[in-house]
This record gives sequence, C-alpha cells and structure tokens, in this order.
Amino acid sequence: MAGEELALMTVEMVEASQLGMKAIAAALAVGLTGFATAIAEMTIGSAAVGATAENKDVFGLVLLLTVIPETIVIFGLVVALLLIF
Amino acid sequence: MLAPEQMSRVLIAAPNDLLAPIVAELQRQRLFHIEDFVETDAEEYEGFRIGVPMEGAGETSKELLRLRSVTAAFSVRPEDLTPGGKVRESQLKAQVEHDLPAIEAEVEGLLSRRTALENQAKELDQKIEGLAPFAEMPVDLALLRGYSTLTFFAGSVARTFDPGVPHEAYYSESKRGKLFVAAVPVQYRQDVERKLLDAQFQAIPIPDEQGTAKERIDAYRAQQDGIRKEIEEISATIEDLRKKHAEFLVACDELLSLDAERSEAPLRFATTDHAFVAEGWVPTHTVGPLKDGLAAATGGRAFVADRPAEPGHDLPPVEYHNIDFAKPSQFLLDVYSRPKYAEIDPTLVMAILFPVFFGIILGDVGYGIILLAMSLGLRKLLKGDEARMLLNVLRNAAVSSIVFGFLYSEFLGFSIPGLHPIMPSRHLNIGVAEGGHGHGPAVPELMIMTAWIGIAYITLGRILGILNHARHGHGSHRILAMLANLGWILVMWGILVMIWSAFPLPLMPDLTGLPAVVLGISLPVIVGGIMVVVGIVFIIRDSALEIVELPTILSHVLSFARLMGVGLSSVAIAMVVNYIAIGLIIEPQLENFGIISIVFIIVGLFVFLLGHLFNTVLGLLGGGLQSLRLNYVEFFTKFYKGGGEKYNPFGMKRRFMED
Repeated sequence: MAGEELALMTVEMVEASQLGMKAIAAALAVGLTGFATAIAEMTIGSAAVGATAENKDVFGLVLLLTVIPETIVIFGLVVALLLIF
Repeated sequence: MLAPEQMSRVLIAAPNDLLAPIVAELQRQRLFHIEDFVETDAEEYEGFRIGVPMEGAGETSKELLRLRSVTAAFSVRPEDLTPGGKVRESQLKAQVEHDLPAIEAEVEGLLSRRTALENQAKELDQKIEGLAPFAEMPVDLALLRGYSTLTFFAGSVARTFDPGVPHEAYYSESKRGKLFVAAVPVQYRQDVERKLLDAQFQAIPIPDEQGTAKERIDAYRAQQDGIRKEIEEISATIEDLRKKHAEFLVACDELLSLDAERSEAPLRFATTDHAFVAEGWVPTHTVGPLKDGLAAATGGRAFVADRPAEPGHDLPPVEYHNIDFAKPSQFLLDVYSRPKYAEIDPTLVMAILFPVFFGIILGDVGYGIILLAMSLGLRKLLKGDEARMLLNVLRNAAVSSIVFGFLYSEFLGFSIPGLHPIMPSRHLNIGVAEGGHGHGPAVPELMIMTAWIGIAYITLGRILGILNHARHGHGSHRILAMLANLGWILVMWGILVMIWSAFPLPLMPDLTGLPAVVLGISLPVIVGGIMVVVGIVFIIRDSALEIVELPTILSHVLSFARLMGVGLSSVAIAMVVNYIAIGLIIEPQLENFGIISIVFIIVGLFVFLLGHLFNTVLGLLGGGLQSLRLNYVEFFTKFYKGGGEKYNPFGMKRRFMED
C-alpha cells in the first residue's frame, strides 16, 4: 500500500510541492517580519506623535526613529525574493 | 558649496544717545543676528547689565495687545493676506493715532454685545431644559407651589406608583421616561418619600414659572430667535468691518510690532550708565554694508569691530549657502536638523540623490507626469516659503521619476511599446500563467544594483565623515576619528572582496577562480582579511564600543534593497489594477459587446482611475519617505550631527509698509 502511494509521487509532483514550499516560506518571511516591524513601529510611532505634539522641532528626528524598524521587513523581503527567484 | 555661509562676529559699542538710531538702522538692514547678552561675573563684562526697554515700550505693547484682540476677533492673520499696495510709514502712524482707537472701540462694543447676547441665549437654553419634562402637563406651573397644607413631588419613576395616602397625581409618558407629579397632604410627606425611594424616584425641580410649561417654552424659543437674529446681524457687521479694515489692521500690527521690537532690543544688549555694547553675527560679505549703514546713521560716532568666525571656537548661527538648484532641499535638511557652522552641509548631495532615489523607487512615466502636474498645480494654492520649497523638491522628484520611467520602460505599470528597458526589468507576471509572455522581474540584478548604490553612498558618507573631522580639528582625536571613518570603509570593502572571492555574483567582480597563494587561500581573501582587521583596529582605537555597530555595515547596505522592494510593490499594484480593470472587466466586454457592456466599461475605467490614484498616493508616500529615510538614517549617521542655530537677523520683514 505504502509502496503504491510512493510510486505515485512523480517527479512533477515533487517539483510542484517544492515550489509550494518555497512560496510558503517566502510568504512567512515577508509576513512575519512585517508583523515584527509593525509591532516595533507601533510603540515608537505613538511615542513619536506625543513628542511632536510637545515640540514640533523633533519631527525629523522622530520620523527617523519611527522608520528604523522598517529594515526588518526589508530583510524579510530580501530573503523572500532570494527564495523565489 | 557643502559649507554654510561664512559668518563674522560684529561688536557695536556706542553711547546711549545713539541707541535709538542704531537699533532702527539694524532693524532696517535685517543683517545683524543679535547674540543675547547674559549677565555674568566674568572679568571682561564687569559693570555691564542687561539694558532696559526704550521709552514708550509699555505703551506700544499695550496698544499691540488691544489690536491683537481685535484681529483675533476678526481672525485676520497677516500670512493669509497678500499685500496690495504698501503704505508709507509716516502716513500709517498718523492713521494709527486717529482711526485705530475708533475701530477698536467699535469692534470691542460689538464683541461685548455679542457675548452678552450669547450668554442670554444660553440662559434661555437652560430654562427650556428645565421646563422640558413638564411640557406635556396641561397645568399652570404656578399652581404647583405656595401651599402650606400640600407638598408636591415631581420626578421620573420606573413604574406607575400608588402612594397609598390621599393624593392627586399626574402621569405622563414620553421618550424621556415616566413623569410623575403628585400633591400630597403635608403630614404624609415622609411616608410618601420612603415609598418613592422604592419606586426609583428621581426628583425634578419644579420650574419657578407662570403658565403651562408649553406656553413658557414657546415664549422662550421666540425670545431666542430674536437673540439669534441679533447675533447674526452683529456678526455680519463685524464681517463687513473685517473686509473694510483687514489690511489696515495688519499694517498697524506690523507698525506696532516693529516699534515693540525696536524698543525691546536693549534687553538683549549689554549696557552701562552711559554706553551700550551689542554683539552678534552677520554674513562676512555683508560686514561692509552694515558698517557703512551704521556710520551714516550715527555720523561715525559708533565703534564697530568685526572678525571672521573661528570654527571650533565660536558657535555662529548658520545660514545656508547653496546653489539655486539645491535650495529647496534645505527644507529637508531643516526637518532633520540644521548643520553646525563647522560641519559639512550635505544639502547639495541630498538635492541630487533624493530625487534619484525617488526615481529609482517610483520610476514610472505616468506617475511622474501626474506628480509633476501636481507640483506645478499646487503652486497656485499653497503659499509660503516652506510650501514652495516642498513643491520644488516634489517637482525634481517627479522629473527624476519620469526619467527613470523611461529607463525602466514603465507607464502606469504597462511597458512602453518599442522601448527596451535599460535598467533591469521590474515587470511581474501578473494575470498570466506560469512562463507567460513576460520574463519576470530581474530581481538578482536589481538587488545587486541597489547594493552597489548602498555601498557607494555609505562610502561617500564615510568620506564626508573624514573631511568633517579633518575640518573640525581638535588635537589628537582628530586623526583617530578620521582613521575610524577610514576603518569603516576598509571593513566594508574588505568584506566585499572576500564575498567576491567566495561567490560569483552578477554585476560584481568575480574573483572565485583565482589560484591559492598560501595555505590554499587566494590573494583576494588575504587582502580582504587584512582590510577588515586593519579597519577594526582603526575603529577600536577611536572607540572600542563602536565594535557592536559592525553588523550595521551589512544592515545598512541591505537597507538599500528598499529601493527595489518598495519599487516592485508599486509596480505590482499598478499591474494588478491594470489586470483587474482591463483584463478582467473591460476586455471580456469588448469581445461580446452589448448595451450592458457600456456599464461594465465605465466601471472598469472607474476601477482603473481609482486604483492608479491610490497607487500614486502610495508611491508618493513610499517613495518620499523611503528616500528620505535612506538619507537620514543610512547616510547622515555616518558624518552628520546637525544642531546648528538658525541665522535669524534682527528686524521683522516689512510686508505691508514702506519707509
């Protein structure tokens, strides 16, 4: 029984399944790093808005601080693209 | 270029009787950035005190305060008005004495009348609110009070209620709840109160009025209408006055503000009983005119000395000194922080590379044209220097977007027919089966391209860092700091050389095939290794803690991958919009054309427009913010500190007035 099933796994099916796994891995890479960035930016962003309300001059600085975690998702994207292409 | 305007320190000393003419001359020239005098115990400042305001300063301030209360009531702001003809100062002064008090009195009268009326209307509102629960009750409210043998209860209850004593009650139900009014002989009062408590009674005060509640409410409403009408009339009168006097009032504001500024200037000078000293900064090339002006105003009786600023010792205010093309980018730099006087001013680099990054991200002819039209169109709507600068930055970015659009061969997500892309393709296979007609995006090439941009930009940043430290020059630390910056460059390029000798990469030198020299290690690996080690030693000698920053070499270079990532997502959205609007909605309808097809085609066009509008906004935000971030985080952190003081010369700008 098991042998018959194994025999059914043709080369094409293996390839297709590998492709699917790659797609899932890429999706996880972008998705999870996206979540991580979002969580990090959430706290920084709210603090940044508070600080800007107190003193308008810090806008440039806090904008910079807010976008720093964006690198995380860029790494995710790089990994995902390397997986797919 | 790459440096702020050169400044000179100027010292003005004169007897006190020259105070007024000198201050007036400084105000007219608008060149002298006053350095506020702070009382110190230092020897050279012995005997100097902060000056006192000139005569009449209190009067001017009071007058200005009254005027501002009027302009605030008018909600007239000088920046909203475009000056028509300028008024002569002497003429305006006369008008201020004659006309202004009358206008002020009139407006103040109207305003206090309006406030009184508004208060009356509010009181009536409260009365109506008190009467509202009794509106349904057809009884004269005067009948509900003033008895010695009866006590009245009025309020809302949760359910109908029987007090169980002789009484007369009235119930009414409305959406507010159940109103219960009852008259009970005085002796049962406590008894009834207890029972009412059980029935969740909430007392409502009986209004002190004559007539039924409904009559009273109607009467008060009528009164209110009258008051509202009067308020409207007053507001209309104020509006008329505003139109008539707005320009005059802002001109007065300007005149009085200038007066106040002048009379308060001595508060920033060092004075003695007979003389005063003003210290400050002017751009070096204007020292001559400043001296000439002061000599003319005082008949040569003021002592004026100047010397150029010494970087590292002085902290002069900073005025940008850029070519016209780079000027709009000063705005972007101010958002971060103005450069210090001794620091390299990277405005020019940013003026060139911000649009380039923007173009690499949003390289699309269609979007570029839309943004260009936007930046030119908004010019009419948005006034003010900062808005103008921002629009110019947007214009440059849009032009760059169009240029890169041709290089990528993209127009609203379509490829431009007959134009082969010069840059690596970003077209995705959207809406076609695997292996469709497109060849997909050239991701590896794009990624290497962005990595090269990152490497080049970071190296440039470090080179500017070396120059910065070379200029700053404080002793032994100067060489160490310069070497540390060189160390960072060495480590980065060393790692690169080692990567090249390990992996063959597209668009990068391939050093994998080179023969081994020692112990099976090839020459590039040895060279790269030495570069990394020497670099790390340089960095440690400056500051050992910096070692923890070493991984940023990788993360900052990879961070430039956002040029590709954000760009690809923008292309993807554009192509999806095109596929949904044209491929899925419009095309099938064109094949089987019928009456209903017209509706579908309109829907398809709507989706097309909405989708691309959405993508334009996203592209503007994404492209703008990401390019800005690459400059601020990856570039500026290598060499730039900022924190310079803005050059803010004494003297307001005259917009509505002339001498």
